[in-house]
Amino acid sequence: MSVPSSFGSLTVRQAWRRVGAWARRGRRAVAFLWRRSLLFRAVAVTVLTTGLAVSVIGTAITLSISNNVYAQRRDQIEAESERATVLAQNIFDAATATEDNNQVELETLQNEAQRSILSTTTSPGGTSIAILRTPGQSTTQTLQNIASPDFPDAVVSAQMRSAVAKNSGELSLQPVALEDSGRRTPGLAVGSTLQIPSAGQYELYLVYDLGDAQKTLDFVSQTLSIGGVALVVLIALVTSLVVRLVVVPIRGAAETSRKIAAGRLDERIPVRGEDDIAILATSFNGMADVMSRQITQLAELSRVQQRFVSDVSHELRTPLTTIRLAGDVLFDARHAFEPAIGRSAELLHAQIERFEVLLADLLEISRYDAQAVELETESMVPAGLVTDIVDEFRPLAESAGVELQLATPGGHVGIEADARRIRRILRNLVGNAIEHGEAKPVQVVVDSDAETVAIAVRDSGIGMPASDVVRVFDRFWRADPSRKRTIGGTGLGLAISLEDAHLHGGRIDVWSQRGAGSTFVLTLPRRLGAAVTASAIPLPPAEEPYDGPRLPDGDAVVAAGAGREQDR
Amino acid sequence: MTPRILVVDDDQALAEMIGIVLRAEGYEPEFSADGTDAMAAFQATRPDLVLLDVMLPGIDGIEVCRRIRAESGTPIIMLTAKGDTADVVVGLESGADDYVVKPFNPKELVARIRTRLRPVASDAAVLTVGDITVDVPGHEVRRGDVPISLTPLEFDLLRALAEKPNQVFTREMLLEQVWGYHYKADTRLVNVHVQRLRAKIEHDPDAPRIVTTVRGVGYRAGSQG
Repeated sequence: MSVPSSFGSLTVRQAWRRVGAWARRGRRAVAFLWRRSLLFRAVAVTVLTTGLAVSVIGTAITLSISNNVYAQRRDQIEAESERATVLAQNIFDAATATEDNNQVELETLQNEAQRSILSTTTSPGGTSIAILRTPGQSTTQTLQNIASPDFPDAVVSAQMRSAVAKNSGELSLQPVALEDSGRRTPGLAVGSTLQIPSAGQYELYLVYDLGDAQKTLDFVSQTLSIGGVALVVLIALVTSLVVRLVVVPIRGAAETSRKIAAGRLDERIPVRGEDDIAILATSFNGMADVMSRQITQLAELSRVQQRFVSDVSHELRTPLTTIRLAGDVLFDARHAFEPAIGRSAELLHAQIERFEVLLADLLEISRYDAQAVELETESMVPAGLVTDIVDEFRPLAESAGVELQLATPGGHVGIEADARRIRRILRNLVGNAIEHGEAKPVQVVVDSDAETVAIAVRDSGIGMPASDVVRVFDRFWRADPSRKRTIGGTGLGLAISLEDAHLHGGRIDVWSQRGAGSTFVLTLPRRLGAAVTASAIPLPPAEEPYDGPRLPDGDAVVAAGAGREQDR
Repeated sequence: MTPRILVVDDDQALAEMIGIVLRAEGYEPEFSADGTDAMAAFQATRPDLVLLDVMLPGIDGIEVCRRIRAESGTPIIMLTAKGDTADVVVGLESGADDYVVKPFNPKELVARIRTRLRPVASDAAVLTVGDITVDVPGHEVRRGDVPISLTPLEFDLLRALAEKPNQVFTREMLLEQVWGYHYKADTRLVNVHVQRLRAKIEHDPDAPRIVTTVRGVGYRAGSQG
């Protein structure tokens, strides 16, 4: 037995679980529709509110009608019962006043009373009658309790009987439930007393069937319910129709704006009629016109700018090439000149070089401004590239008395990047670190995590106050104008570096404190096109101290080619 | 005999200055000021090398480059005002061997010219890669008995690869050996010229068997293994 029962409970549980899953799915679907569909929401709200209103009104109407019908019937029954009581009493009184009554006569009278009462009742539901002797009397004669054949004895309760007996001369009304071939119908029992000379007090019970009234009420409430449901459905339909009138054009507008956003600038909303929707469509189309005009204009401007940059590039570079060649020829022959002219050749040579770098930087930044740059990516290993740059800067670092330290714990992953731009960024960062490093060691660290590759360049030199840190990427901005420049940057280096980093989807973070040095961290996404959110080498806020990127155990910062510096 | 160099540039001052630099290095410069005259000047002077400005009045440098390539393998170095991708790649694809970005300095220019004019030094006499025979002293490449015409640069590239069959060359190694670059790393030079070489020597350039790509590393002569 235990097996089927446990099996049964299992299936019940499974069924419950399934029902639960359905309910959850249903709830989710409804919640989804609620969030996404204005039509659904409008119809749902309308149906719920009208449904509530209709049921309240329907209930009120039903209650009021049933009260009314009941009260009417009750009044009628009361009057009828009173009449019946008087009639019966009169029959008994009249008979007993004229002659001596005996048992037989009394019973005849009783039957006569019953008959005449039944014949006077007009109640449509049918009436049953009973004449019962009030218990606890001793009289010379007694009448037998009589009742019409269909009298429902059960409805006359002991309490009712005692109440009737007590209140002789008054009517007692009691609502009862009648059993009629299995169906329960409402009824009303009315009790009164008859005083029969020589036979004592008797109770007259009349039971009225209110089934017909109930039937009427049932019909009314049924009609009301059907009407209510029909009304709700109708209102739902009307609402959905009305909302559709508004929603369909709105959906069209949404679709159109999506297409415009996707670059199809010629998409417009069809305008029909002159209603509010048409006004919306017209003004939307107007806006789209203006926008597409602006976009075309901007594109044209950008094209012109690009063209200009390209022209300037060519026009400036050709004479500059001549100047440079001439300058170099003079520079190579400077020892043959007298000292003043020889020095002039040297100055000319150096300044041409500076001018060239400045021109190249200007052209690069204007290319960024014209959005005329594109990545030329190749797969590369950051560690190798950083090592190359550090090696490249060794002579300069040495002459500045700076020890270059390199560690590449996480630099041996392959990334897709524009090597030219990454080199340019690193040259800038390392060059700046050496220049501002105050002959203290400069650390270059490459690390990576699952998402990013980060290259940190840290010096322990003069550093910057917070007000300078925010301006460090501004064009032509210099941290300290009074400082002697050894590398001779153009003032555009970091601005271009930042653009280069952004072009890769990466970024450059700075930490700096006056006297504690600066750390710049270039962070690149490992997968090109991914956005960088966090860096493999995080930097603390400017207020907090920072002692450099942390390295995994055993991977010390390598002093790159710095033996001589250490010996000093 | 002093090597002759044809300088095609519309900027008189620059052309003259380049002339001064070239003469100082022992070359003999010839000049042409626009694209239309360039072909005539090329045919008249038969230069050993052409310095070609990209932006020229008349026919532009790219077209001149294409026309010179159509009749000769003479080394061409483009003078470009822009380091922009498109220009450089188009220049290389139209047949230029190398390019110099303005403003360049004399040493840079002369180094480029020297590399393109240096005599090929090789111990090997005849090399074979697949069904291709490379006759180094004869400067000739054949498939069976059919000679294949390569430019000197393409020849150098194929020879460099063929001398060490099955050794993988990185693009940087090829830049150093063939173009003489030690630091510059414009790998487009290698990519474009490998494509041009393949177009001439492979049966199916889309499925190369003589100069094969080693993914992520570089190139080698001969197929895998």
